[in-house]
Amino acid sequence: MTGNKNNIYFDNAATSWPKPETVYHSAEIHMRSAFGNPGRSGHTRTLAADRLIYRVREKTADFFNIADPARIAFTLNATDALNMAIKGLLEKGDHVLYTAMEHNAVLRPLTRLKTEGIIETTMIPCSDEGDPDLVFLENAYRPSTRLLIINHASNVVGTIVPIKRMIESAHQRGVPALVDTAQSAGCIKIDIQADDIDLLAFTGHKSLLGPTGTGGLYVRPGLDLKPLREGGTGSQSELDLQPENMPERLEAGTLNSTGLAGLLAGIDYIEDRGLDNIHDQEKKIRAYLYERLLDIKGITVFGPPETDRCTCVVSFNLGDTDCGSLGHILENRYGIFCRTGLHCAPYAHRTIGTFPAGTVRISPGIFTKTDDIDYFIKALKEIATLTGI
Amino acid sequence: MGQNCYITFSSIHQAIRAEKLLEKKRYAYKMVPVPRSISSSCGSALQCTCQDITALGNFLGDKNIEIEGLYRVKEAKLRALSVEKLS
Ligand SMILES: Cc1ncc(COP(=O)(O)O)c(C=O)c1O
Repeated sequence: MTGNKNNIYFDNAATSWPKPETVYHSAEIHMRSAFGNPGRSGHTRTLAADRLIYRVREKTADFFNIADPARIAFTLNATDALNMAIKGLLEKGDHVLYTAMEHNAVLRPLTRLKTEGIIETTMIPCSDEGDPDLVFLENAYRPSTRLLIINHASNVVGTIVPIKRMIESAHQRGVPALVDTAQSAGCIKIDIQADDIDLLAFTGHKSLLGPTGTGGLYVRPGLDLKPLREGGTGSQSELDLQPENMPERLEAGTLNSTGLAGLLAGIDYIEDRGLDNIHDQEKKIRAYLYERLLDIKGITVFGPPETDRCTCVVSFNLGDTDCGSLGHILENRYGIFCRTGLHCAPYAHRTIGTFPAGTVRISPGIFTKTDDIDYFIKALKEIATLTGI
Repeated sequence: MGQNCYITFSSIHQAIRAEKLLEKKRYAYKMVPVPRSISSSCGSALQCTCQDITALGNFLGDKNIEIEGLYRVKEAKLRALSVEKLS
């Protein structure tokens, strides 16, 4: 099979591809039509943009079961939303709890605030399958604990974390919870009200199937964040300070309306196909992938074998090969695209025992077929033979 | 000389929400740039007849729209002659 180049994209956890046709179309139509700058001026083209933004906000709110769409601020991505939540909420002397599975989008802002002497932090350790130690959590609260941060699903091994239980534990101490849904939104059902989420960060370009440059932050009523960015909103222009009402409070500067038009089509697509159907299909693909990987001699597969508690992500290493070189050969010989290394999650890799070497991560998407998995497994078997494993 | 009535909102989100709620109602209204003679948080306002404004204000208020004010503006030659805040 060597040389039989394909174009198999297994890096949907980084950004999804392909997108549904309607996403391309919707973003293009938006850019070609004379939409004005949302919120700025009052002419009808601006109003058309305002209506679009309104629809995306309402659609997003419905998707996460958020009662008041105005509590969602659109952001550049999950990183932006997480920074806004962390830096907008925390004050000197606050203590923060976070899990070992967090992404650098959480770890780095926390480390900065900690290094500057503003906050203190405690990391909740996780099992080698990525499950947070809930007993540790119970004992980790301090009177100064101000925030619990949870990565809903690991971008390294796919493990879905029991957010509801963790949030309940935080709420018993009056501590709000920030949930990073970069890997879970669009894969599994998220219900702000049922899960009692205080702050939710999402990104538009992964499983929500939208373009890059889209995302958002939900902020529970009563929680007022200090804005990370200040600037024009088109409203209350006479005010010297940022308006206090949501979403303007957190939305300085022109929104990415073209991207949001695409995101709207992405969420529409998910709703048309049904989130449960998508999740079921992804579970089947992950189960199949996991099982086929175990066939390969010398392989170590990470993450829970049970697909019920995972998103569609699997990490592995092949013998003592370098994961980067393995990724390179997968692309160059076989046309298979995957992500290797530490996946911006150094403590997740320490947790599963793959730091600093990293792993190869396979993240199929909603358009992946079992044929693609078969082709990939064949390639991997060939590589295993070639490298003498 | 003419007169128009306006409803202003706390944000564009509220203004568009109001517009959506009115979609299937039989009021005559239009979203317009807020006249500078009125101070408003949001750049767009709902312009309607002065007969309807109270009913419209009540309807939107019942739906929890964040209304900033109801105004009657007497206008001539693109100038506001008088502005009356109704509530
Ligand atoms: C768990 C997790 N959090 C945050 C992010 C950051 O997402 P983005 O790059 O869209 O801001 C990612 C993706 O890279 C992720 O996997």
